[in-house]
Amino acid sequence: MIEAWNLTKKFDHVLAVDNLSLTVGQGQILGLLGPNGAGKTTTIRMLATLISPTSGRIAINGLDGKKESSQIRAMIGLLTEAPGMYEKISAYANLSYFSSFYGLKEQKKEKNIEKFLKMFGLWDRRQELVGTYSKGMKQKLALARALIHEPKILFLDEPTSGLDPESARMVRDFIVSLKEEKTTVILCTHNLHEASSLCDRVCIIKKQIIKEAALHQLQSTQQATEAEIIFAHHAQKYASLLKKVPGVQQTDAKGNRMRISVKNPEKTNPLVVKKLVEHEARLIYFHEMKQSLEEIYLKIIGKDNHA
Amino acid sequence: MHNALKIFRKEVKEIIKNKNIWVPTLVISLMFSIVMPIAIMLFADFTDNAQTANFITNLFGEETDLEVALIDFMVKQFIIFLLLIPAMVPSLIAPASVIMEKDSRTLEPLLATPIKTSELLLGKTLTSLIPSLAISTLNFVVLSININILAYLKAGLVPLPNLEWLITTFILSPAIVFIITIISIIFSSKTTDIRSAQGIGSTIILPIYLVIGLQIAGLFLINYLYLLAGCALLILVCPLLLKLAVKVFDRENILTKWKMK
Repeated sequence: MIEAWNLTKKFDHVLAVDNLSLTVGQGQILGLLGPNGAGKTTTIRMLATLISPTSGRIAINGLDGKKESSQIRAMIGLLTEAPGMYEKISAYANLSYFSSFYGLKEQKKEKNIEKFLKMFGLWDRRQELVGTYSKGMKQKLALARALIHEPKILFLDEPTSGLDPESARMVRDFIVSLKEEKTTVILCTHNLHEASSLCDRVCIIKKQIIKEAALHQLQSTQQATEAEIIFAHHAQKYASLLKKVPGVQQTDAKGNRMRISVKNPEKTNPLVVKKLVEHEARLIYFHEMKQSLEEIYLKIIGKDNHA
Repeated sequence: MHNALKIFRKEVKEIIKNKNIWVPTLVISLMFSIVMPIAIMLFADFTDNAQTANFITNLFGEETDLEVALIDFMVKQFIIFLLLIPAMVPSLIAPASVIMEKDSRTLEPLLATPIKTSELLLGKTLTSLIPSLAISTLNFVVLSININILAYLKAGLVPLPNLEWLITTFILSPAIVFIITIISIIFSSKTTDIRSAQGIGSTIILPIYLVIGLQIAGLFLINYLYLLAGCALLILVCPLLLKLAVKVFDRENILTKWKMK
């Protein structure tokens, strides 16, 4: 479990993170979203006890971030923004070196190195110098390093950056599988599709938390939602009818299709369908168009920029 | 300590693979320990004895046996080479060890492990300290044997080791290695380029070149009192530099203030 209370970080006179509090329960995946310079990496560095907050408190699985930082680092895995591997030694030697700091027994260490190198498809090239690896291979190796001691808490900064679609999917599937093992994950990403497919909750930050919620809550709390209706006949004749339904804000009919903007879709959409059926409209399709995380994110960030 | 040794073991392997470090070290060691003493002895046979006698008389006072005087001269002059090696080797190794981490951007993942920054600093220091001390001690042994052989062949003397050489090798050299290592590490935090880091390392050893120059010019002659005074001064400086290095090697400092690529 990750807990942070009122984290603030200043670098000289520059405020990087401002009064940020969050809680991530065991086995949850939290997506940390925000524009460049929003303080995501600083937040992760504070939570991973690499840097100290100027004020505020951190607890990781009940351990105090200030007094027990070494024990915390022993139980977490961190995938940094840049892979950061020693290029003049082999992939195997890299993992062996990093894993040696976690006090794993030799047999366990070898077993884990083999397990993760095989998992990421690097086993056959384990003795090659990392300098000869592609960007994607280095990224996978860095991920293997973050996992080598089987941490129960993971901080992943752009885990699929530089990966080909197949590898990116494999990594995403792997992150999902971590949930079954009750691993707690904070995922820092600019890939909003990835965040929406992996995260239980997202936290949009810009020095401080602008919005934090479960994804479905975030989608339902957005005021205007659109729905698309396809008729077996011309749609225009129902436009004025639907405008009278309470909650319908706008209608836009073209051919046999109509797009409506509604307020409070959970209440309004059934009223729309009822009204159409009452007027014997021949409906082929009714689709509630939920906003994507990207649209929500842009709206929230946009609002904050104007504030 | 255990983690520091892990860093040391890994880095020594990399240094052994790095020709830019060991080739100049090997060439200079061979030059000073083997080639130069032999060359001086050979050259002394062909030189103008009166001129040599005059120079040596200026340094040592009147000496009746010129060959004994030449050996005394050599023993005094070669002390400075004993100082040069411990000054040069850490200025090559220590910056390489830190810049390598910056080049590969491995500092953050390394600091994300349970390692303590003091262990990281100790590991980096040992990486420079142990090979430098090993090379300077080896240099002392080879040079002593070489000079003893030459002195024995020339005048039936075995002049080494003497007190000055022992002080230089076992007190002054380790202090110099330590100081150059720590200063190189501190300056390496401020640069991303190995050449400029090593350039700074070379600047640090300028005072040693000054001592060498003064002695070669006959304006100054090292003796055990000067050596002991030098040792005392350097040993006093060591804890201050260590304190500064610990400050520079703070986890937060490394991640937020060190100049990175």
